[in-house]
Amino acid sequence: MKPEVPDTALLPIDPDSGEPIMPRPQPGYYCGFSTLSQKPFWDDATRKVVLERVEQQEPIRFFNPAQARFWTTVFDHLIPQTDRIPEHRIPILPALDKRLFLGRTVGYRFEDMPQDRDVYLIGMDAIDQEAQQQFGGGFLSLPHLQQDLVLKAIHDGKPKGVVDIWRRMSVHRFWQQIMQDAIDAYYAHPWAWDEIGFGGPAYPRAYMRLERGEPEPWEVAEQRYAWLTPSHAASGESETTHEFHTEALQNRSHSKNT
Amino acid sequence: MLGAVQSIQVPMRKFREMEEVDYVIIGVGSAGGVLLQRLSRAGFNVVGLEAGPFWDTEHDWVSDEAGSHELYWEEPRVTGGSDPLALGANNCGKGVGGGSVHWAAFTPRLHPSDFQIYTRDGVGTDWPISYADIQPYYEQLELEMPVAGPAYYPWGHPHGYPYGPHPMGGAGNALVRGCSALNIPVSIGGPVAILSGSHGDRPHCIYRGFCIQGCKVGAKASTLITHVPDALNSGAEIRDHSMVGRVSLGKNGRVSGVHYFDQDGNEHFQRARAVIISGYAIETPRLLLNSACPGFENGLANSSGTVGRYLMAQAGTVVLGRFDQLVRVYKAPPAHALTEEFYETNPKNDFARGFAIQTVGPLPIAFGMQMVAAKKAWGWGLRREMMDYNHWASFGLLGEILPWPENRVTLDEEKDRFGLPIAHVSFNLHDNDHKLIKAATARTIEVMQAAGAEEITHEARYAHLVGAARMGSDPSASVVDKFGRTHDIPNLFICDGSIMPTQGSANPGLTIQSLAARTADYLISQGDRVFTSSDRDMTSPPIRRNLAPPGTRGKGVPRLT
Repeated sequence: MKPEVPDTALLPIDPDSGEPIMPRPQPGYYCGFSTLSQKPFWDDATRKVVLERVEQQEPIRFFNPAQARFWTTVFDHLIPQTDRIPEHRIPILPALDKRLFLGRTVGYRFEDMPQDRDVYLIGMDAIDQEAQQQFGGGFLSLPHLQQDLVLKAIHDGKPKGVVDIWRRMSVHRFWQQIMQDAIDAYYAHPWAWDEIGFGGPAYPRAYMRLERGEPEPWEVAEQRYAWLTPSHAASGESETTHEFHTEALQNRSHSKNT
Repeated sequence: MLGAVQSIQVPMRKFREMEEVDYVIIGVGSAGGVLLQRLSRAGFNVVGLEAGPFWDTEHDWVSDEAGSHELYWEEPRVTGGSDPLALGANNCGKGVGGGSVHWAAFTPRLHPSDFQIYTRDGVGTDWPISYADIQPYYEQLELEMPVAGPAYYPWGHPHGYPYGPHPMGGAGNALVRGCSALNIPVSIGGPVAILSGSHGDRPHCIYRGFCIQGCKVGAKASTLITHVPDALNSGAEIRDHSMVGRVSLGKNGRVSGVHYFDQDGNEHFQRARAVIISGYAIETPRLLLNSACPGFENGLANSSGTVGRYLMAQAGTVVLGRFDQLVRVYKAPPAHALTEEFYETNPKNDFARGFAIQTVGPLPIAFGMQMVAAKKAWGWGLRREMMDYNHWASFGLLGEILPWPENRVTLDEEKDRFGLPIAHVSFNLHDNDHKLIKAATARTIEVMQAAGAEEITHEARYAHLVGAARMGSDPSASVVDKFGRTHDIPNLFICDGSIMPTQGSANPGLTIQSLAARTADYLISQGDRVFTSSDRDMTSPPIRRNLAPPGTRGKGVPRLT
């Protein structure tokens, strides 16, 4: 098999050299840290659950192949992984597919939202129509940056098209739900724990150094490096200021847009 | 070398299918677990019906966020109103131990003022009991859990805790630093129902941070380990995977038992001389509404029309601060330091009542969603924020939201897998609530700034659930009397968070268990009269400390009561 040649427009950039940072097995500031290396010290039940997540490939049973391709592409934008070598990318879709296949919910549905399964079916339509409206093509047919911009419009709560769908489904809650499912899968994976320096399971052994953020003997110290968002990405910015608002005001500002 | 640190293995009595028992308790959670223990120890025949599983903690629980969904009530519900509440993992437990399995285990008491906020401030309502009525039960349950905390706790009715405070984690250190810089008193290392030293067969805390995923260690109190073993030893039966669909009213105006579904969906009927509903603030009113019958067309015990109304959640806005130095918030229990300095009504404020500020310790998935909500992070921005996970500390404010009749549980058109209408929850903030949340958020941010955070953001959210079947002395404006007996039906009781008329700014777990022990003492004092008489004796019972689980007495001595 030919090794994948990374598209440098999708790679984070070293601000000093201006050069792309090549994909790594483990991005983040904790080089050499491995939660999985500690698995002999975990309890059996925890070890089983975590290892299954790493080693087992879950079948796709709810989505058909076209739908699976669509949502895999969307999740590649919600949590991009082009800075990871392909063998070390974390699958997002299988966990969601399993949840929808089994009909599992988080225990509530907002009254302005359809059932979870319908959210993902209607959501494809919404994203595709937004792509048509903005760039005159189906979502999957667009280049990467334009796909990012389509999703950004929904993230911003300001979709330009498909008014009828957003009347039936809150755009704000739709975004929350797809982000929740993406985060549920990515940050449940021990490779993501290694990336962010989360110590992971610690029963029955215990954590011992609680203060000043000091590492346990098996943890490593932080080794920061600077990186810039890839050039073909619209998701680099987060809000850095806070406003004083309650959840109600957030909701109202979103409903104005829908 | 490594393996099970503890297990729960108690042989259990089984009542026969058609046998009439003295009490059926619906829901074996915070309240149900205590009631089951007290009533069985006093010699009653008691069956607890629990919708979720009887946990084998070593095999069923994991140190893992994504693997812990079974602990939460994730059956379908609809949530709405102007300020919809998140349910599920946020506030609803399932399985023996209920919410006490996944609580963070902060155990502050209510303040004396909480019992009369209408008299004092003209808001909400007064309780039909006073702080003095519940104080001995607070002291007793703090020993039974037991609670670790400072030797002197200055707020409300000052008192001390039986077990020593915990060492501090990163979030607690930030809270102490911020409060101290602003001259705000702060409680360090508790009060939490987490063992700081071993207690009987329960080991001390190991600071692994997975409190709300169920404490495999056995250091955090849940009724599963504090009260259920003694209940089973005393002859109680717990039927797990048993979902009660309807409480049945007999021809004499008394309830005769409950219809429930087993794991395979088969329906059973358990006859009982009295029924106690302990299903918490959503399932309790849902069950009463689903039990409507001739004479109670609007729901069982709902002649007042208040079943499902006055539902409360506390404002639980999370303030996140990023620090230059590492915090590693995942170590130590999420709950380990707090201040109640702003708990009481302050005439200088433009709102009544107040709030607490507490530590919280989000694990990666929860933290990720906070970054989405608070910073609108996604894509590369989210990856970047998450790489700084270890730099963030979090405080949660806990603010009193007042009881409002339109905040309520009703039945939805949608049905669950048993064919039972699901709950529809509607929640709306009011003027006092908005003002309180705004001021509390500003104050919490101020503390985070004083702690040295270089960047601060916040996420508006809610914590806990109480109300929706409130107690009161007026039968036309409440569901149960001060002992938890429904005004309408002499042998039907409610005992859980749903009977609380107001909530203060204290986490409700200790109050719920204390109310359960008090209701148990009342029922024990009343004896067989509960089963035969319609008289309502309103005499307060003596506290029965001798009915505490064995091993309570003589261990852990509060320095100041």
